[in-house]
Amino acid sequence: MTMISVTINNKVYGPLEVDPEVKMTDFLHEYVNLTGTKFGCGQGICQACTIIVDNEDGTSDTVRTCITNAMVFNGKKLRTIEGHAKTSKTGEIIALHPVQEAFVNNFSFQCGWCTSGFTNKTVALVEKLKRQPIAKDQVQKIIETELKDHVCRCTGYVKYYKAVKELILSTEGATV
Amino acid sequence: MQKIASLAIIFAISPTVMATTDNELINKGKYLSQLADCYACHTATGGEPYAGGLSFKTPFGVIYSTNITSDKTQGIGDYSFEDFDRAMRHGVAPKGNLYPAMPYTSFDKITQEDMRALYVYFMNTKPSSQANLDNDVMFPANIRLGLKGWNLLNHKPQEFAADNSKSDSWNRGNYILNSFGHCGECHTPRDMTMAMDHSKHYQGAMIGNVWAPDITSQSLIEQGWSSQDIKDLLGTGYSRKGTVVGEMYTAIYHSLSKFDEQDLHASAVYLLDSDEDVPGKPLTFNAQANTGEGYQLYMGYCASCHGIEGEGKPNFAPGLAGNESLAHENSINLLVATLYGIKPQFYSTLVSFDAMPGYDNKLNDEELTNLVNYLKAAFTNSTIRFTVKEMGVLRKEVEGNQENAAH
Repeated sequence: MTMISVTINNKVYGPLEVDPEVKMTDFLHEYVNLTGTKFGCGQGICQACTIIVDNEDGTSDTVRTCITNAMVFNGKKLRTIEGHAKTSKTGEIIALHPVQEAFVNNFSFQCGWCTSGFTNKTVALVEKLKRQPIAKDQVQKIIETELKDHVCRCTGYVKYYKAVKELILSTEGATV
Repeated sequence: MQKIASLAIIFAISPTVMATTDNELINKGKYLSQLADCYACHTATGGEPYAGGLSFKTPFGVIYSTNITSDKTQGIGDYSFEDFDRAMRHGVAPKGNLYPAMPYTSFDKITQEDMRALYVYFMNTKPSSQANLDNDVMFPANIRLGLKGWNLLNHKPQEFAADNSKSDSWNRGNYILNSFGHCGECHTPRDMTMAMDHSKHYQGAMIGNVWAPDITSQSLIEQGWSSQDIKDLLGTGYSRKGTVVGEMYTAIYHSLSKFDEQDLHASAVYLLDSDEDVPGKPLTFNAQANTGEGYQLYMGYCASCHGIEGEGKPNFAPGLAGNESLAHENSINLLVATLYGIKPQFYSTLVSFDAMPGYDNKLNDEELTNLVNYLKAAFTNSTIRFTVKEMGVLRKEVEGNQENAAH
């Protein structure tokens, strides 16, 4: 057993006693009751379980939680699908995150299993572009590069990619 | 009239008889060309078969493989058997000396009979008019005459001679692996003049950024390889003891996987130096090693794919329990895989392994040391453990090799 503390969506969890064999998806579901992160293939292929790790230098990484165990995240600052929308003091959602809004407007997903992974990856991508803007004609290419590993079995990617493209092009400071 | 009829029959039959004989010879030559893996070097990625153009980065510059199709202008279609034999055995082609990147230092052992089959096959390949590329080699290696000196010094062509004290299978294994297979070109270390050091036959050597491991029978037996493990690895690319990646993957894909059952058996007999079936050793997992930071890092980053007890996942990630690369005293390959990852490997239509991510930016020297020491303690019987300082030195060496890697 090992003790871990993590900050998830600005809330501190722990110290909690965790078995080194516990995967981060199980930790999120079973230990802190955050069930929005989906367990898909269980071997790091489909990316459904992707969450965001915020680094101290202001950059972010995305990590697959089905192949990374909980204790690796000890002391780290994380964001999951539950942390993006604005909520009221009573916990009700009052506004979706622009990425979520774009996916809803474009009917990007159907069953929703891949959505938490797509959302986290896109949030991290848009934030990265705000720090390091790219030319408008490079947007399609960067979407295809960054999101190519995310698997969706319902809508065939077109609506996801369209939503992300629209969002990046309309986000101030993401393109030059 | 009867005579004319008989003659007519003879003429009618002869071409068929000739064709059958030729076809047999061509097929034999084709099989032998697969044993020799000619395709891998003489075909550029996505290029026409045997039309050459694949680049080889050497310490002396870039060498391009040549067109060896039956094309009479750009290929070797105008070679006589003697020309072909001299090029294969002595490294001297009609247009000049070959660089020893062409393994004529191994092909010299091919028998006359087999050389003829190879010749007939190559005279019947589909011609390609693809022009040969000029090598970009620095002085003095660009002086081809110098190769004559190198040959005089290092190459004494000698056709294979069977060892009568050994079995037919052992001799066949010895013959195909040391002539066509040219295993020693990578697995035997080279001396100061870049010639194979035959006193260290198969003892392992650096190839680019990785180590072609020690495949002497002594080492293989000590590491616990069974006859079946050898056949599995050579025949399919994966085995109980691990999988092949990089250049060896290409060798398996184009060549070793084409070995017939008898030649695969002969290879195992020769490599393990045993006519009896070698049972191998059980795979290692020491549960008492499950403690400390190394164990936690393994559980955190590795166990999801390689298994909590190092058992791996079929068709996804190889097992680490008993893994050859972990167990070896030389830990270069272990570090290259851990730091830089492994590309996905497709061994057959039914068997493939997924990509392994690299952990270079996730592990500092201390973490890497703890992880490697855990892997050695948990999954091997090796007593080797690294200090952080030693690991730092090894990591620097691996980083340097990676930057200078040939491919």
